[in-house]
Amino acid sequence: MMSRKSLVVMQNEFMRRVTSKTFILTTLLGPALLIGFFAIIIMISISAVEDSPEEISSLRIAMVDETGVLNARILDQDTGDHVLVTADLSSAHEGVLDGLFDAYVHIPPEVISGTSQPLLYSLEGGGLGVRGTLGNIIDRALEDHLLADRNVSADVRSIFDRVVRLESVRLTDEGEEAGAPAREGYAIIGMVLGMVMYMTMLIYGTLILYGAMEERTTRVVEIIVSSVRPFDLLMGKVLGIGLIGFVQMAVWVLMFLGAMIFAGPIIGMFVDPAIYDLPAAATNQEILAAADISMPHISVGLFIWFILYFIGGYLLYGGLFATVGTLVDSPQESQTLLLPLLMPMIISIVFLSVVVVNPDSGLAVGLSLIPLTSPVPMIVRLAVTDVPFWQLLLSYGLLVLSFMGSIWVSARIYRASILMYGKKPSLKVIVGYLRHG
Amino acid sequence: MDSLVLQGVTKRFGKVTAAQDVSFEAKPGRILGLLGPNGAGKTTTIRMIANILTPDIGRITLNGHVVGPWSQEQMGYLPEERGLYKKVKINDQLRYLAALKGVHARESVPRIAYWVKRLGLQQWSARKAQELSKGMQQKVQFIAAVLSNPRLIILDEPFSGLDPVNSEFLREIVAELKANGRIILFASHRMEQVEQLCDDICLIADGKLLLKGTLRDIKRRFKRDKLALEFDGEAPFLNAMEEKGDLHFLERNEDGCIVRLAEHFHSRSLLERLLATPDLELYRFELLQPSLNEIFIRTVESQ
Repeated sequence: MMSRKSLVVMQNEFMRRVTSKTFILTTLLGPALLIGFFAIIIMISISAVEDSPEEISSLRIAMVDETGVLNARILDQDTGDHVLVTADLSSAHEGVLDGLFDAYVHIPPEVISGTSQPLLYSLEGGGLGVRGTLGNIIDRALEDHLLADRNVSADVRSIFDRVVRLESVRLTDEGEEAGAPAREGYAIIGMVLGMVMYMTMLIYGTLILYGAMEERTTRVVEIIVSSVRPFDLLMGKVLGIGLIGFVQMAVWVLMFLGAMIFAGPIIGMFVDPAIYDLPAAATNQEILAAADISMPHISVGLFIWFILYFIGGYLLYGGLFATVGTLVDSPQESQTLLLPLLMPMIISIVFLSVVVVNPDSGLAVGLSLIPLTSPVPMIVRLAVTDVPFWQLLLSYGLLVLSFMGSIWVSARIYRASILMYGKKPSLKVIVGYLRHG
Repeated sequence: MDSLVLQGVTKRFGKVTAAQDVSFEAKPGRILGLLGPNGAGKTTTIRMIANILTPDIGRITLNGHVVGPWSQEQMGYLPEERGLYKKVKINDQLRYLAALKGVHARESVPRIAYWVKRLGLQQWSARKAQELSKGMQQKVQFIAAVLSNPRLIILDEPFSGLDPVNSEFLREIVAELKANGRIILFASHRMEQVEQLCDDICLIADGKLLLKGTLRDIKRRFKRDKLALEFDGEAPFLNAMEEKGDLHFLERNEDGCIVRLAEHFHSRSLLERLLATPDLELYRFELLQPSLNEIFIRTVESQ
């Protein structure tokens, strides 16, 4: 697969770019911008969570209960930080207009029979939060009243409050329990792989495309192909520029992991443990767990396949971008060819939920075998179900073969298109390249 | 035999035949001029020698072995369509091009230093190619062609775009490489350059080899039918001869003329006539050797 010459090309492509100012700057500044962006989002959302209870607590709400039976039950309940005051309709109405109350709730008598609904009146229209909280309180009060009316005991009442959650346990072939499959978590792995691959191709795909055009646009091509086969040239280019992508992302991942070590305490500083009903002395881990900022547990094997499928998919799409680069003479011309190129990847992300729910269906197996779509569905299937080894082997074999094939096709087009600068290839000409190239 | 041999080489692109049954031999220590009008098939022939294209029929051997990736390392090529990596420094660029020819940096670095100095590019070697003038870039491309000490050097229009001083400079280097026993292939449609430089000639037109041999043989093959005359006096019989179709005026001025003699007409009879004319003083009577340019035009036209 790697000849000595493609190694020379790869080394040159890599060294040229890794030492360029652009690379160093984007590597260092990229995450800084991204972190800054996320930091702002996190800070805004955290402060919104912290602010909201205070906003609600400042509300004074008048309750106008015309049923005559609900008021006590309403005031009995934990109303959060709301201040509920009993009032008659006209004084409540006046009170809201005078600013004495923030809002008032009118509960007509027909609410008991279910033929009417309570109404919340306020000058600002009232936020969803207030409406939801008050609605729940009134609903609960009404339920309690109706049940009590029919002499239902508190024991029976508590039956209604019970909730059943179905837990699932995965068994190994030996019948031992292998822990919970946590499908939702694993779907995230597939999602992450899909997104990472998609982003990578958006960033580095065009770099590979430009790389494949470079020799022809600078006209150095004839000197180059008198020293190296087009196949070796393109292979070296895709791998060299590909490696640049890996290095950049590896640096970013390391920076990210480094940041995570500090990020825990930082998030901990912003988040008040009380929001998640935790003691003030709660550790960061406890807070993060309570806030659902936790990672699904990934096995080493799955992690390795994740990396392998990422590399395979990355190189295959890189090879296809190189093919486009050999077909066009300017980046503008390539635009129309790029979208269809990324379609299979988008399709595989779209079908992700189907694959998670039914990982052994024909659709899931098919998607995870077809080279252009296989990386994302296969990694999800590996996480959720036991994929037969032959499928894994076939899927990955096809992926590697397609990568080699994409370079082979590019090389044939390349060899033929050296002869014609500035001539836009028609489909017929391309087929001709492939047959005679 | 340590030479480049083409035997019955044919290459077609669809319906177009770019090279048809081309055979010739280029020997070490000699410069072979590949001549031909634009679109004659020179570049296609060179690309096949450089193993960029493969012939449909026939074979090309270097040192007795069919050309392939192995021969690319024995070969330096300055193509007509040439460029450099714009944003790469000259030194790095040359080191990469040498590495592609299988030359390790250990060897290429001192060689690059030598050639860069020899061609007066020292101040530019750490600059990017895009900062260099076209002529300087061309010298860099020339260095790339000779850097690997190749046995076969192919130069396609190497002087186009160079000023006279640099052209002369490059010519000296080419002569030196020839003296070192390299096989040199020189493609051009500039006849005077070919005439100055080459030992052997191959004339290609429409993909066909029309003429080949040493420069001297080819010139001998063409009759000396051009006559330069200088005289003092009147020679009205010259006009009569033109009317009869014995000769044809190419140039004419007060001191004399250049004429082309018809096939059937012998120069000796004209000389006798001139000498026999009273009051006519003859200063010059020279049968001129046809220039390569004339041979070229006549050969192509006769096709």
